[in-house]
Amino acid sequence: MGKNGNRPMILTEDLWKTYEMGSEKIHALHGVSFEIRQNEYVAIMGPSGSGKSTLMNVIGCLDTPSQGKYYINDRLVSELSDDELAYIRNKEIGFVFQTFNLLSRATALHNVELPLIYNGTPSVERLERAKASLVKVDLGDRMGHKPNELSGGQRQRVAIARALVNNPSIILADEPTGNLDTATGVEIMNLFERLWEQGNTIVLVTHEHDIAAHANRIIHLRDGRIERDEIVRQVEAQKPQPQTTEAAT
Amino acid sequence: MNINLTESSKIALNALRTHKLRSFLTLLGVIIGVMTVITVVSIIEGLDAYVKNQVLQFGSDTFSVQKFPNFVTSFEQFLEYNKRRDLTVEDMKAIEERCEKCKAAAAVQSKNGTVKVGTQSIEDVEIRGVTVNAPFMGQIMELSEGRHFTDFDIDHAAHRVIIGADVAEKLLAGRDPIGLELKINEVPFEIIGVAKKTGSFFGQSLDNFVRIPMTMYQRIFGARDSVFIQIQAYRESEVPQAMDEVRLIMRSRQHTPYNKDDGFSMETAATFIDLWENFSRGIFVVTIAISSIALVVGGVVIMNIMLVSVRERTREIGIRKAIGARRRDILVQFMIEAITLSGVGGLVGALLGLSIAFVISALSPLPVTIRWWSVLMGMGLASSVGLFFGIYPASRAAKLDPIVALRFE
Ligand SMILES: Nc1ncnc2c1ncn2[C@@H]1O[C@H](COP(=O)(O)OP(=O)(O)OP(=O)(O)O)[C@@H](O)[C@H]1O
Ligand SMILES: [Mg+2]
Repeated sequence: MGKNGNRPMILTEDLWKTYEMGSEKIHALHGVSFEIRQNEYVAIMGPSGSGKSTLMNVIGCLDTPSQGKYYINDRLVSELSDDELAYIRNKEIGFVFQTFNLLSRATALHNVELPLIYNGTPSVERLERAKASLVKVDLGDRMGHKPNELSGGQRQRVAIARALVNNPSIILADEPTGNLDTATGVEIMNLFERLWEQGNTIVLVTHEHDIAAHANRIIHLRDGRIERDEIVRQVEAQKPQPQTTEAAT
Repeated sequence: MNINLTESSKIALNALRTHKLRSFLTLLGVIIGVMTVITVVSIIEGLDAYVKNQVLQFGSDTFSVQKFPNFVTSFEQFLEYNKRRDLTVEDMKAIEERCEKCKAAAAVQSKNGTVKVGTQSIEDVEIRGVTVNAPFMGQIMELSEGRHFTDFDIDHAAHRVIIGADVAEKLLAGRDPIGLELKINEVPFEIIGVAKKTGSFFGQSLDNFVRIPMTMYQRIFGARDSVFIQIQAYRESEVPQAMDEVRLIMRSRQHTPYNKDDGFSMETAATFIDLWENFSRGIFVVTIAISSIALVVGGVVIMNIMLVSVRERTREIGIRKAIGARRRDILVQFMIEAITLSGVGGLVGALLGLSIAFVISALSPLPVTIRWWSVLMGMGLASSVGLFFGIYPASRAAKLDPIVALRFE
């Protein structure tokens, strides 16, 4: 692939994830090896049950592979301490879950504010940034709503706002537009596009070819294996110095 | 990258506020546990103090000579004791005369009967025949009105009576009792005094009696039954010598051969206290049992609430970890939650327990004594349960991979 000056941010070697269901073994990941360099925009596609979410969870440091090695920024994840993992989940990775995973009893604003609480951002700044993040996903008028007072698409946008609030360098999004109408879907994709242009790395799972077309690389999964890994769009030279954590809100 | 205690507390208190029912039920568990322990211990300890106090009124410088010992354990024993000679007022007088270490002696005899004032009567009143010293020994009888018997009253079998507070209340209801006529077995008596109310013990009124001179008692009921002799030594330390003297006097009066056992029994306040101590050890075990049950009930309530909420809380922990909470952050949050619940529950439980104890002592004859160790024990145990079940499941959940916690069913 060799994009100049880009080091691999994500590097996996022969990842397996095996679930034992009684006597039967299900290999959700079946020997997956690949690398993702800084500022790539990767779409992961594949039929339902092919292991897309499992793979995302592993590279988001939310799940442990049964076998194989995973390096994030040259560091072997299995050797990281709980505190280091927490730091990576908090600062480096913005994760958008397929099922949102919002705190059901907290308001949209508090949900978005939460990652900032865990890294000790002072409360005034925290509120400002959480609000800005919600405005960015067009939810400025729903900050006081709890998840069950929001539509599916709105919840998804809260989840996206939460993932973006810390200006993570890697955005992992599991079907981020699955519940959105076309217009908001396009909005969100434009948002990702902008983040990518600012130098962030984006990995997203999608079923839709339109969405995948935004990416410059598509990884096709089937039965836990990489079936095809294609570069769809040669990327023009990006800004050499990516703004990551310092990116303005 | 650090979250301070203020933020953790905010998160924790917020969690308590958003889960009102759960918080309330947990509090309830702690409160039940603490409250019951304090109440039960207060009542039992109160009872203990009361009994000791009652027994001590008998006086530690006092002992008694009686036909039967205080406790007869079998029917065979009863038959054996029953063969003993009855004790008489003469025995008492002999002791009074000849015992040097004895300050005073008195004889008492009693029987239940019916008393009457005018046309009104009550049954089952304890009728006591006493010698002159009797009122000043043993159950101290202070009078609220009138006077005690004199030597003259006793020696001349005066038709005079001192009545208990219950009898005064039931038969005289507000009238001035002194000088009124009261009939015992149709024999008329003049009321010369009313005893102060003592209250009740185990539901049994201690004020339902009348006292008449022993001479009158024996005239009405005959002199067949054995009397109960009370003796007071000059000082407590001389009780053993006084008892030795009395034993010799009694043995010689009863012509007991040197190789035979006494034909009477002697009891001291110490015997009572020993017995009570034995008995109250049993009560103490019961106290512990009841308190433990209360704590277990409270504990089970707390445990259930906590465990039922584990599913939801585990998901919450998964979410928090997924967005960057450290294991420590989760633990601190749950600790603050548990400490708050246990602390508040413990305090409220303690206040309620103490209030109940006070209310019981105010409204019922049950004596109540607050023991601070019971407050500490209740609060300590209930909050340990709260802390354990608040923190332990959370600490386990905090060790899971976030995704495992998120999927927890
Ligand atoms: N906790 C689990 N226990 C057992 N099997 C699991 C578990 N999680 C996932 N699997 C299995 O692993 C396989 C991959 O699941 P995964 O969620 O990664 O699929 P996916 O590609 O994200 O599907 P979808 O497009 O429907 O979201 C599936 O066959 C699933 O049944
Ligand atoms: Mg999926």
